[in-house]
Amino acid sequence: MRNPALVTSSLLALLLALQGTPTAHAQDVGDMRVFGSMQSLFMHQYSYSEINIPEAQLSLQEKESRNSFAIQQLDFFFDKPIDDAFNAFVDLEFQLNYSSEKRWGSLSIQEAWLNYSYNDAVNLKVGLLFPAFNQYNEVKNRLAVLPFIFRPMVYERLLAQRFLTEDFIPEHAYVQFSGWIPTRNLMLDYAVYVGNSEASYITRNHPDGGIDTDLNPNFEFLSGVDPTDINLKLFGARIGLRSPGERFRGGLSFTRDANNMRERFGAQKPYFSEEAIRLMPDDAERYRFGLDLSHKHGDFLIEGEIIKVVYDLGKAERKLDLSLEQSFVYTLVGYELHERLFSFVSAQWGDYSFGLDADYFTGTAGIAWKWRDDITAKAQWVMYTERMENLVNDDGVRYGQNTRLHFILLGLSVLL
Amino acid sequence: MNIGRKIVHRAMLAALLLCAPLALRAQMVVITHASVPVKSISVRELLDVYTLNQSRWDDGTRITVVDVKSGKGRDAFFEYIGMSPEEMQRIWLRKQFTGKARPPRSVGSEEDVVDLVAATEGAIGYVNERALKSGKSVRIIARFK
Repeated sequence: MRNPALVTSSLLALLLALQGTPTAHAQDVGDMRVFGSMQSLFMHQYSYSEINIPEAQLSLQEKESRNSFAIQQLDFFFDKPIDDAFNAFVDLEFQLNYSSEKRWGSLSIQEAWLNYSYNDAVNLKVGLLFPAFNQYNEVKNRLAVLPFIFRPMVYERLLAQRFLTEDFIPEHAYVQFSGWIPTRNLMLDYAVYVGNSEASYITRNHPDGGIDTDLNPNFEFLSGVDPTDINLKLFGARIGLRSPGERFRGGLSFTRDANNMRERFGAQKPYFSEEAIRLMPDDAERYRFGLDLSHKHGDFLIEGEIIKVVYDLGKAERKLDLSLEQSFVYTLVGYELHERLFSFVSAQWGDYSFGLDADYFTGTAGIAWKWRDDITAKAQWVMYTERMENLVNDDGVRYGQNTRLHFILLGLSVLL
Repeated sequence: MNIGRKIVHRAMLAALLLCAPLALRAQMVVITHASVPVKSISVRELLDVYTLNQSRWDDGTRITVVDVKSGKGRDAFFEYIGMSPEEMQRIWLRKQFTGKARPPRSVGSEEDVVDLVAATEGAIGYVNERALKSGKSVRIIARFK
């Protein structure tokens, strides 16, 4: 689907096919419901970058501006109640199918699970699923229910080259127990889940080329299956509280999984000594801790999230005092100018320190106007800055880089 | 004497006019299918049902939530449970898009609500009391104005 005209005409055909039920939001096929959403965006980007080489007392600047367009996301959901206890759910997602960016035209199964509900307190989901972690993980790709064009940094796939979502949040799990229990004034949510480590761990490149897997290549007879042994490296849990009208939500989240340090974080020369690389574990234990809060008071909404990721580097940590930590802080203040017009400002920080030092900041403001029940127009201004120190080039010269990007985004979110 | 009577009459008329909106405000009722094992429901329980958090009655029957597309009765109901329709819509959308629950069945009129609730096991809805029909077997579990 690399031909833009073909993509556009396919989308138009799809829209025409669906226009028979513009306000129904869902089409019943027998008992199965098919519904979806899409979001397109127009973008103006202004970029400024500065490279400083202290040894040479040199500073280089460059800047650029451009305009672009993307079908940011298009999701189809299939919801099939099987009986009173079982239901199945599938989320098919197209991403950036008309984009001059990379990751052109991906189609993926984001979720496909079967849920067994004994009662509201006991549910078992089996399949590919978004596990519960902080407040946004389960809805991160449901752009139609979010006021954003540009999501909080670690959830934003437009920043996939800068942030790997999975470094901060568990993207997928296979089995999840969850439910909610009413208490006197609040509702108590819980979820526990297991899964594997993430795709980039699984499909790391082998030094000799090709994809390295956990399995003996001589015995890989099956195509299209997960190339990693299912060894359930991921364990996670969330416990949360909600007020009955859901104006207050808060929770604590935790995961433990494994990450391949050598492949994923460039734990190599020139950043690390031979000894450090030798001591660095292939599988480092990774722990993610999350805290989320959201409170709506009158027309005001206040939200926040903190994610802290720590790694156990084993001998490398103990002998060489090496450590890796990542953190992300998100805050938002929103105000309902009208029941269909929501405005917000948000500030977000992230940092990463492992051989090089990096920190990130996003300041953003936007509005979402629900023009009709099924169409929301969005506008957002974003300032993204990135500061990196202790970078080393091929010749061993150390340098620092500051990058600042401004985006003006106009988006249209449509329920299908 | 006449002046006195006029003052009294005018005072009574003013009092009647002031009370009229209260008296005219319709009596709303929350109804369920006749087999639902509930005699009364609190605002908190209604909130749990309409935010799709409570999906079953005590006997395990699935709850089918019924909503009216628009109207004064709808506004009065959401005011009664302390939510705005837009707020509720967002909750329904979030639950629908995460596969946690299906949004309420939305019908065009209060008469349709009565028909659907009477015909669907486990169903709950709200209507103006005047919309209730003889011969339709539903149970009233709450009243509000």
